[in-house]
Parts: sequence; structure tokens; C-alpha cells
Amino acid sequence: MAVTSSRLDQNPQVVERTKTLAFQQNRGRNTLLTLGTGLLVIVFLWFVIGLDSTKLTQALALFAIWGVATVSLNLINGTLGILSLGHHGFMLIGGYTTALLILPSQARDRILTSGRSAMNETTVGLSIENFFNALGLSALTTDETLWLRFLIAILIGGLLAAVAGFVVGVPSLRLSGDYLAIVTFGFGEIIRLSASTRIFAPVTNGALGFAGVPSEFGKSLWWTFGFLAFTIFVISKLKYSSYGRAMESIREDEIASEAMGINLANNKILGFVISAFFAGIAGGLWVSWLGNARLDNFLFTLTFFFLVAISAGGTGSITGVLLGTGLVIFVRQYGDALEETYAIHQWLEFIGIVLLVAGAAYLLYRSFNRTGKRLPDWAVWLFTASIVVLLLGSPIFPGVSLGKFGLYLVLLPLLILPFLPNVGDKTKGIGWVIFALLSAGLLALIVGGLSPNFGWFAETFRGFGMRRIALAILLIVIMVFRPEGMVGAKEFSWSWVFRERPDEPTDEERKQDAWLTNPELNREGGAANAEGLSETEGN
Amino acid sequence: MASTSLSNARKKINWLPWLLVASIILIVVGRIIYLGTVSERFNAAFFTRAFIESLKLGSLYALIALGYTLVYGIIRLINFAHGEVFMVGAFMTYFFFTFTPYPWFIAALYAAAIAYGSMRILEFFRGKMTDPVVLAGGGLIFIGLTVLISSLTFPFWLALVCSMLFTAVLGVIIDRVAYFPLRTAPRNSLLITAIAVSFLLQNLGLLVFTNRQTPFRPDTPLTTPVRFTLGEGEVFSNWLLLAIPVITAILVVVLTLFVNRTRLGKAMRASAQDAETAQMMGVSVNRVISTTFLLGSMLAAAGGAMWGLNFGSLNQPAILGILPGIKAFAAAVIGGIGSLPGAVIGAIIIGFLENFTTAIFPKTANFQGVTEFKDTFAFILLIIVLLVRPSGIVGEDLSEKV
Repeated sequence: MAVTSSRLDQNPQVVERTKTLAFQQNRGRNTLLTLGTGLLVIVFLWFVIGLDSTKLTQALALFAIWGVATVSLNLINGTLGILSLGHHGFMLIGGYTTALLILPSQARDRILTSGRSAMNETTVGLSIENFFNALGLSALTTDETLWLRFLIAILIGGLLAAVAGFVVGVPSLRLSGDYLAIVTFGFGEIIRLSASTRIFAPVTNGALGFAGVPSEFGKSLWWTFGFLAFTIFVISKLKYSSYGRAMESIREDEIASEAMGINLANNKILGFVISAFFAGIAGGLWVSWLGNARLDNFLFTLTFFFLVAISAGGTGSITGVLLGTGLVIFVRQYGDALEETYAIHQWLEFIGIVLLVAGAAYLLYRSFNRTGKRLPDWAVWLFTASIVVLLLGSPIFPGVSLGKFGLYLVLLPLLILPFLPNVGDKTKGIGWVIFALLSAGLLALIVGGLSPNFGWFAETFRGFGMRRIALAILLIVIMVFRPEGMVGAKEFSWSWVFRERPDEPTDEERKQDAWLTNPELNREGGAANAEGLSETEGN
Repeated sequence: MASTSLSNARKKINWLPWLLVASIILIVVGRIIYLGTVSERFNAAFFTRAFIESLKLGSLYALIALGYTLVYGIIRLINFAHGEVFMVGAFMTYFFFTFTPYPWFIAALYAAAIAYGSMRILEFFRGKMTDPVVLAGGGLIFIGLTVLISSLTFPFWLALVCSMLFTAVLGVIIDRVAYFPLRTAPRNSLLITAIAVSFLLQNLGLLVFTNRQTPFRPDTPLTTPVRFTLGEGEVFSNWLLLAIPVITAILVVVLTLFVNRTRLGKAMRASAQDAETAQMMGVSVNRVISTTFLLGSMLAAAGGAMWGLNFGSLNQPAILGILPGIKAFAAAVIGGIGSLPGAVIGAIIIGFLENFTTAIFPKTANFQGVTEFKDTFAFILLIIVLLVRPSGIVGEDLSEKV
């Protein structure tokens, strides 16, 4: 008899099925895989250290530091759904605390002897070395144990930032949305503006800041990635616990969550405090990476970069946030070529390429969004290949030049060919925006490619701040076309890698769901069909 | 609170805010009297000067705050980019009176943008863009301005008008490109986009305008010094002291008349009240929003030009617009966001808070002075107002209805 007992946990089908449910994944296998990836990352870091390239090491270290900051910001912005713009204030507190506590004695003496400093003997003496000496632990004040003192300094910085997070989190109980964003921004600005005033200058050294912070920790891949791993561990554990679920429900609907008994105040303040703690740690590492602590390094620009990282990568997902951080760090560290001085015709070429790519990308986006025939796969591949070749030959990578004029002669047909099948088609025709973009881009490219060297075209122009402009345009484009970011809210998980879809029915279940074969639902012919099924199953 | 119809029922008066206001006034007056008796310096002239400066600063903030409050009233968006529009207006004025005459093709570009802005304004009166009067007006203005910009050096008032029109076009473009596609998006996306636009404008300003502090000294009779004696001291100032509050008052009155008396103004008020119903009644809400951005940006440009006049120089583009923008937003919220008189009241309050307190609490032998903290006063007051009375001074109660 196919009839099973009425107790679900004795129903073999149900028991078999629950084994693949999301919360009962193959945890052993997943943990081993994660540890294995961790080992791979360690090997990779070792390799990079062996490469001995300062630029790459610095970029990776900065990626880890800003990764800590963005993952912690994601806790408020993505998981709690509260837009918080004051992260630079927390980093300031953590960074300055760490710097003050860990500054070596030569730098302290320099501050005391310099005439313009605002610090006095007491505040300059606030260091962990003095604290240990006072306790009689002189053995811990040597150079070898600098790491221990740095660790303590960073943790204290994080704790102080957490206190600030508590203060900033309190208004979140009464405000919402836009106002709260402004208030957090205001707090960030208040912290930065007050740090140079007479009240706090004895502790922060006013506008001069601290110079000479030991930078071997901020630039060391082990320290930074270690803290990143710690942050990811804590925050993902938080996200997948009851606290995290409570926070996500607050994000979705505050009033319903309150009705279900979730304490809004506790959860919001918890989110702010934890996020601020990790922001303080990131601040301490940032100060160490820079080698100094100055107010100019903690402007709102920092929070803006984090916002770009979160929005471009994917709000609410740690994987996405790290991807976004990687993108921002890449543009920041490797985008120097954008800010050089080029001749006008070179800029025209660059603008032409950007406009062409934008026009063609917009065309692709539109064609994917229409009902009806999509662009064929070969067109998409051709378009992608032509963009890659265009980018390689463009002024951004001046080392790779492929005979530019011939390049454009080859590429322009490649860019246009994919859209030829749609010419004249009214439903997929090129709109005036795309036509304007493509024609302006073509014009700029041709004019620039001809390299006229007279009059206005021969002048040079320095791309000051081009990286930030590029990031800002990227953020606007993402918000308009794909506000959930690259990966949305999806996280990386091993079950995704193995294509386990625990929430979708398996093929067997699909067959069983069919009323045709289920004798309980189809009493007339069901048994006969089910026999046929079990026959094939048995074989 | 509606009073009941019982004859002996009394309306409940909320005495706490009045007590606070009265105590603040008492403290200020008392402090002024105290300072007056303490030293020679703090005589009537000094306080008159401080009063006038605060009024000037408040008027400047009011011009920016009006833009914030107009936009928030309709689409509930805090337009972070408004501070940068203010910055662009200031710099455009500077360019117009410093670098004119321009070569003809650059003049043509400027004239095209300004003609477009004036066409949109003419459209308010004629109904549609393709109206012959609008088209003719636009063409005339385009040709006329090309000739003007490429041939003569602009006086300050002409630079101001052209910059207002140019910035209006910028405001409309920002709305069309960045905010219009996000009409149905969640609020956080809109806020982040506004921040992105603000950042973009700051850095574009750094790239295109300048990255240094620029002096702003046009040749205008407004800056001729004026002095008059008052009591024992003399008040040094220039005609600006009359000009800025008067120009602000004129602009505010024009705006209020526009919003209250014209059809488009009525459409704006309707969209602010209930956008969906307004659309059902035949109001083109998108057109109204573009108009709002246009008007707000014009006011911000005027504010920017007068800011430069007042302070004599402009900070670099990435810095100029941030603090005034955020303080003007605080002013709009304090006064009651969504209401025009509220924005003006809030801005005057912030102006006085910033300027007058540094006057009456100056650096003396016993006291460090509050000059360092004057930027934080606006934020602190904003936070207090948001926690205590989020609807602001003039606004209605904004408690959430579940």
C-alpha cells in the first residue's frame, strides 16, 4: 500500500526530503570545503607576499581593511535596512584611538617638542607602553611585542567606536528612512568637526593628527585578512542567527515585526553597536595602512566609497559586498591612468569609446527586457569580444596599442553587426537615445582617432578626480538599472556550487505530484499508472 | 485639538514650547545686556551689525532651503544634490562675469542651455513647448545670448540671471536622468542616488571649474561700503546688507505668489498633497516635478551668487556646497519640511544660531568662545527637533498612522 502513516516524521518520504532542506544541508561537507578554501586563500596570500610587489600587497591589504568596513556597514544598510551615512565617524574614533595608544615614543616626543601641537603631557602619555610600565609588565613594552599592544589598541578603538555606535543608534528608534540618514550623516560630521576643536584637540592633536603610526600591521596581508576573516565570521554568524533574522524582518516590515514581538530597540542598537565596533577596527587598520592619522582621511568620501561598494556588489549579501569592495579598490588603486594628463584628442577617443559602449550596453539591456525575440547568443559574444578588444586598445592601457586606426576599422563593424538583424524592426528598433549615444561616440572616436594636432585639439587636459567621477556615474547607473547590485541578496554557498536546489522539487517528487500517477489523488486510474511507474523505477 | 462645544470647556494650550521660546529670548536679551555693561565693544552698533549679518546668512540659507522643501513636499526625497546645484550656480555666476566674452561656440552652448531654461519658463504661461511664442522666445534668447556672451563683459546682474537660468536647466537634467527612473523605487535607492549625484557634481566641479579657492569680486555697486553711526559706535557694512535680505524677500514672495495663485502652483500643491489623485485629476506630475526642480535650482543659484558676494570668495567646488546644503536642509526640517514659510523661518533661525551666538558668546578672558562649534549647532538643533517635534515649527503632526 502506498498509504503511509499519518505521522510525518515516520513517513519515509518526508524524512528523506527533509535531509536536503536548507537548514540541514550537508554541514560536514560544507565546513570542510570552507576550511579548504581558507587554506587556498592562505596559500594565495603567501604567494602574493612572495611576489614582493608593493602595489599589489597594498591593494590587497586595503581591500581587506575596507572589506571589514563595508561588511560592517552592510549589517546596518543591508540586513537592518537602515541607511547609515556616518560610518566614517566610527572609523575616525577607532583610528584615532588606536593611533594614540600605539604611537611610538619618538613620534610622541616630536609632538611634544613641536610648537603647534595641542596636546599636553598627560594626553601624549596615553599609550599602552606607559600603561604596561605602570603595571610593571615592562617585558611587554619591547619591540617584539608591538603586535600585542597593537591588538589591544585596536580592540580598545573598536570598543570606543561601539560606544559611539550606541549613541548614534539611539535616534534610530524614533526616526526612520531619510531623516535617520541625515542624522547619521550629521553625527559623522559632528565627530569630524569636533575632533579639531579645543575640547578634543588635546587628544587628537587637532588638524595635525598623528604621524608615524607603525604601518607594518595595516600593510601586512596576514593582519588585515585575519581581521577580515574574523569580521566575516562574526557577521555571518549574526546574520544567520535569530538576531539576524529579526533584523531582516525589521527591514522588511517594522510594524509587523513589532507586532510579532521583536524588540525593535534592542535589535537596532545591537546592529549599530556591532557595526560600529568593526568600523572602529577598520579605522585602526586604515590608520596603520596610511601610517598617519589625519582628519582629512575620514571625510564623507570614505562612506561614499563604501556605499558604492555595497550598492554595486549587492546590498544584504556579504559576497556581493566583497565583490563591490574589490571593484572600488581596483578603481582607486589602479585607476591612476585615468587621472593623467592627455591631449584633447586622446580624451575624445576615450569619451567616444565610453559612449559607444554605453549605447551598445543600453541596447542590450533594452533588448533583454522586451518581450519577443532576444538577441541571439552569437551577437552577445561578438559584442562582448569587441568591447574587450576596444578596452585593450584604448588610452586606459597605453602599453597595449594595436595600430589604432586598423583596430577601429575592424571593431566598428563588430560593434554594429550584432544589431543589424534588428534594423528596421519596429519593436526592437534603435531609439533616439541609443542613436544619439552611438553616433556621438562614433563621431568622437573618429575625430579623436584622426589625432588632429591643431588649435584646441592639441591642448592637454588633466583628468583630476576622474576615478571618483567614474565611481559616481557607476553608482547612478546601477541605481537606475539594477538597484539590487550585482548579486542582489544572494550569498555564496556550497549548495549553489553543487547545484543543490533544496527548495525545488526533485524529479521523483515531480512525478509523484502528478495526479496521474498518485493513487491517492486519482483513484480511477492512478493505481494503474503508479504500477507503471514502480515498474520503471524497479528496473 | 478641536475644542468641544461645551461652554466651559477650555482649549488645552501646550505651554512647554512657549516656555522654551520665552526662556531663550530671556537668555539672549539678558546676555546682550550683560555684555553691554561689561565692555565698551559690545554696544548697540555691534549688536546691530551681528543682527544684520545673521539676517543675511539666514536669507542665504533660506534660498537653498526652499529648494529642499519644495522637492521634499512632492516626491519625499531629500535632494542631497541641491547643495551642489548651489555650488554650480555660484561658479557659473563667477564664470559669467569673469570670463565673458567667450569664443562663439562656447557662447552658443551656454546660450542653448539658457534658452532651453527660458523656454521651459515661458511654457508655464503658454502651456506647451511647441507653442509659437515659446519657440520664438527661445530662438530669440538663443541668438541674443550668443551674441551677448561672445561680445561683452557681463555685469553682475546679467551674470546672475543667466546663471539662474543655466542652473535651472541643470536641475531639470538631474531630475530627468537620476530621479525620474526611480519614481517607483524604494526610498533607500533614491537617497543613495541623490548622494551619488551630489558626489558626481562635486568632482565634476573640481574637474571643470577649479580646485582652488576662487575670489569673487564682481564690479557691482552692491559692494560699495556704507557706514552709519548708531549710538556710540559705527556700523561698517555695504549695500549688501540691504540687498541680500531684500532680494531674498522678493524671490520668496514671487515664489509664494506663484505657488498660491497660478495653475501650475496649484498643480504643485496638489501633487504635494496626493500625487496619485492629482494625476487622476489631469495634473502631469512629472511635469510638475520638473518645474519644482527648475524653481528650486534657480533660487539656489541666486543664493550661490549672493553667497559669493557676501563672503568675497568661493571655496573649492568639493567643499563649497556641502555645509550650506546640509544646514539648509536642517533649516527646512526645523521650520517644517514641505512648507514654504517654514523653510524661511527655519533658515533665519539657523542663521541666527550660527552667527549671533558667536557674537554674544565671544572669546573673552574666561571663556573660549563658541566659534569652533558653530557648524555643529545646526546639526544639534536638527537632531533635537527631529527627536522632539519631527514636523518642525510650522508643519503638521507627522505621526505614523498604522
